[in-house]
Amino acid sequence: MSVIAPNFRLSGFIRSILDNVFWIIVLVTLAGIPAIQIVLFYIEMPVIDGELLTPFLALTWLADPSRVLPIVKALMATDLFRIAVFPGFGLAALLAAGTIFVERKMLAKLQLRVGPFYCGKFEGILQLAGDGLKLISKEIIIPAKADKPIFWLAPVAFVGTAAAFVSLIPVAPGGWVVADVELGILAVFAVIGFFPIITILSAWSANSKFPFIGGIRALHQMISFEIPLILSLLGVVMLAGTLNLTGIVESQDSFPWIVFLPVGAVVFFICILAELERIPFDLPEAESEIVAGWLTEFSGMMYGLVQLGTYLKLYAFAAIFTVMFLAGWHGPMIVPPFPAEIITDGIQLGPVTATIPGLPLFDQEMLNGTIWFIIKTVAVIFFILLPRGVFPRIRIDMLLSLGWYKLIGLSFINIFIALGLLYAGVLGPGGMI
Amino acid sequence: MEHSQPPADSIETPGHAALMVKRFPDGAILSEDTARPQVLVPKERILEAAAYARELGYDHAESVTGVDYPDQNEIEVVYHLGSYTDESLNGTVMALATRAPREEAPKPGHDSTRLPSLRGTFYSVEFHEREIFEMLGVYFEGHPDNRRLLLPEDWADLPPLRKDFAIKGR
Amino acid sequence: MSAQLPPGLQLEKTDERIMTLNVGPQHPGSGHMRLIVQIDGDYIVACDPDPGYVHRGEEKMAEYRNYITNIPHLERPVIHDSCNILYPYVLGVEDILGIEVPERAKYVRVIASELNRCVYTLYWLAIYGIFLGHSTMFMWPTGDRELFIDLLEKMTGARVTHAYMVPGGVRNDLPANFEDVCLRQVDYFEKRIAEYADVFYDNPILIARTENTGVLSRTDAIRLGTTGSVLRASGVDYDIRKREPYDVYDSLDFETNVLRAGDAYARSKIPWLDMMESCRIIRDALSKMPKSGSVRVKLKPNPKGGEESVYRRVESGRGALGCHIISRKKPEPYRVKLSVGSFRNLIALPYLLKGERLGNMPSVYWSLNYWPVEADR
Repeated sequence: MSVIAPNFRLSGFIRSILDNVFWIIVLVTLAGIPAIQIVLFYIEMPVIDGELLTPFLALTWLADPSRVLPIVKALMATDLFRIAVFPGFGLAALLAAGTIFVERKMLAKLQLRVGPFYCGKFEGILQLAGDGLKLISKEIIIPAKADKPIFWLAPVAFVGTAAAFVSLIPVAPGGWVVADVELGILAVFAVIGFFPIITILSAWSANSKFPFIGGIRALHQMISFEIPLILSLLGVVMLAGTLNLTGIVESQDSFPWIVFLPVGAVVFFICILAELERIPFDLPEAESEIVAGWLTEFSGMMYGLVQLGTYLKLYAFAAIFTVMFLAGWHGPMIVPPFPAEIITDGIQLGPVTATIPGLPLFDQEMLNGTIWFIIKTVAVIFFILLPRGVFPRIRIDMLLSLGWYKLIGLSFINIFIALGLLYAGVLGPGGMI
Repeated sequence: MEHSQPPADSIETPGHAALMVKRFPDGAILSEDTARPQVLVPKERILEAAAYARELGYDHAESVTGVDYPDQNEIEVVYHLGSYTDESLNGTVMALATRAPREEAPKPGHDSTRLPSLRGTFYSVEFHEREIFEMLGVYFEGHPDNRRLLLPEDWADLPPLRKDFAIKGR
Repeated sequence: MSAQLPPGLQLEKTDERIMTLNVGPQHPGSGHMRLIVQIDGDYIVACDPDPGYVHRGEEKMAEYRNYITNIPHLERPVIHDSCNILYPYVLGVEDILGIEVPERAKYVRVIASELNRCVYTLYWLAIYGIFLGHSTMFMWPTGDRELFIDLLEKMTGARVTHAYMVPGGVRNDLPANFEDVCLRQVDYFEKRIAEYADVFYDNPILIARTENTGVLSRTDAIRLGTTGSVLRASGVDYDIRKREPYDVYDSLDFETNVLRAGDAYARSKIPWLDMMESCRIIRDALSKMPKSGSVRVKLKPNPKGGEESVYRRVESGRGALGCHIISRKKPEPYRVKLSVGSFRNLIALPYLLKGERLGNMPSVYWSLNYWPVEADR
């Protein structure tokens, strides 16, 4: 009989655990605590209530809970918070994870099966975490003849570009956007323009046939759909009179542009599907023809990164649709107003009777805007996911003729509608409505 | 819908086995069954026999069987011919057999085990003849593509359907 | 290293335009075989199918086992259609041994083989769906297949490899309440199968993708000797159940489905229409079947045949399935040759793929109703 570890002894196992614990304690004491101290002493601290936040004051929050909120507020005002947590990567990654879960469950229900079921207590909710752990623990295999630096760079660049795209999206009123670019929509087009380059670079550097064909297909598809994508947004830009995304959202305070430009919205939605390589436009990853297209040679977490980038991109495109056509954060006020005593006196915490002033962290407008934005974006994401259960894949010639003939034609019709509305004086800067 | 299709063996066929042997006197009738006529034709006349079968209305080969007869030192190849176009032949499958000499130490493609290929007459025998070449070592002259089909590319043993290729343990 | 390597192992000569793709055997769109495809841009210049990845030498094995012990291994090439692949062998052995099958057994055989045809066709349809990127069409037939698998399990005791047909009848009688259960399942399935049209066959993208691709004209279909759904999609009304009825097919009420287009869409539609006919056959056979009686003739142990050569054929899920048995007065057959529909349809593949787009490769390839394991035997 064979055993997995023939020389296993329980005492040796316990000793190895104790060894590890010992070294962790030693390292934390000798290196970790000094590092924290150095960081606290040398980092520039915010000024709170006219008083510079020193490490001493920052650490006294344990004794005085009223100091916590100013620190949190100061942190929330930093760029790091915006990039990493709220309007930036954290929100996007959370929505992306939710998208993956909803996609799998919804597709499963459509196909009369249960989908992820066993991982996690409720309906396989931990499946994604399990998949992520699996991808991280897998070996990364790189083809022998691959151009290694570029091959390594491609997934990272892909996620980076997707994250850059995410950073341009205004989520809530009051400046909740990572990068409020004056020519925001042009920045969006510029970022989108990077994706075909990354795709073809990774496909070429893998030095393998199926990724190469997939990369060429992706290149054809993305470039031919970028033109109608850009053209379909021009109508909105004309009517809004600004290129800034925040400005475009603000221009829709009474009605969303989809009311007047439904043609543009449809064209833009189809272009989103094509840019995202989703069924029925998943030719670059057409499994039965070219294995996995340009993703064929990616393994382990490199593939995981590309998937993360893809879902970030999905969120970003859905958010751009919301911003351009669905009036972004505008919506009826559903968040109840805060009781006045919370703002003035703070919250009385039950038995401790500690008063915490400075709440709430966000104002009512911002919360309401965020909720509406997320509701609309999730609805758009839902419609992006839906075709996957209904349509087969289309062919490259059908795809290109759709992109070059029909969508470009339709987006010009959309531009003429916008121009007509503009020159008739109905809409636009100085219009009737 | 009522289909009044007569049973296979009551179809009025003019005895194709007899017709074949009348045309090729050096052939032999193996069975005169109207639904399954079986004829053996020497390999020199097989191309003409196939052309004649085509005239009789058979338009495709359903199956090609190779049989090894070590005791008669011959390898038989049986073409099962059927017809889609001729309604009266729909239930009939003619077995047109021919024999090639068998070698004790075969060198597929380089020995006397050769037959003319029927691919010119019945296009559908293409893959079947390739299979027989690799399974029994019968080289088909005039076949454009005498390569391996099912066996691995580096197969270096006897053709496996010969009777002297023994299964281990049997 | 010798200079003359076999074709599959040679290093590729890099041409300026032509790229050689090895599609398979480890490829999501090939099945257990390899297609050596040469493409010029998006167009296929040449396609060389290379079957044999799962060749198991069934015919050689059959020469070493007697007529009865051959049954379980001869169904292995198509375990999803195991009743139909055994059918011609069993008919041939009955001819050799001169056995007359009881009436009830004939009906049971027809029911079993029609149920099995549905099992096979649903599996084939599922893979056709996923080959076109339609994942719902993969899941639905795979789920509905369970209906028939359950029925066959009730009949035979096994879910896929039934070994149900034996010379002289079937292995065991039907269970007591089989008729009711079978009718209920078939009724439900007929409702389900109509829904496939909504999600798959009437889908505009599917129609645009598969119509006028891989067109096999009537003349070519006959010349290439194709069979089954490929032949009937090209406008040749040829079904062995009608043309050469075996067992009780001549007394049952059904029709053959013929389409004239000859493209991948027609070829994919014929098996779906055939399933509806199968349901009709099952219902009809259940009503006409004798309610009691023997289902099996006892054979002598280790029966020997005379000196004869028998060729019997049936219509399987993939077309005509012929079995050529040569007996030479021994308990073992001297030679068993299975002439399978997949192998006969494969010849059309290089023909159809030439000049097609690479994106049409999976739809044309799988529309040939090809089962790689069966073709390899």
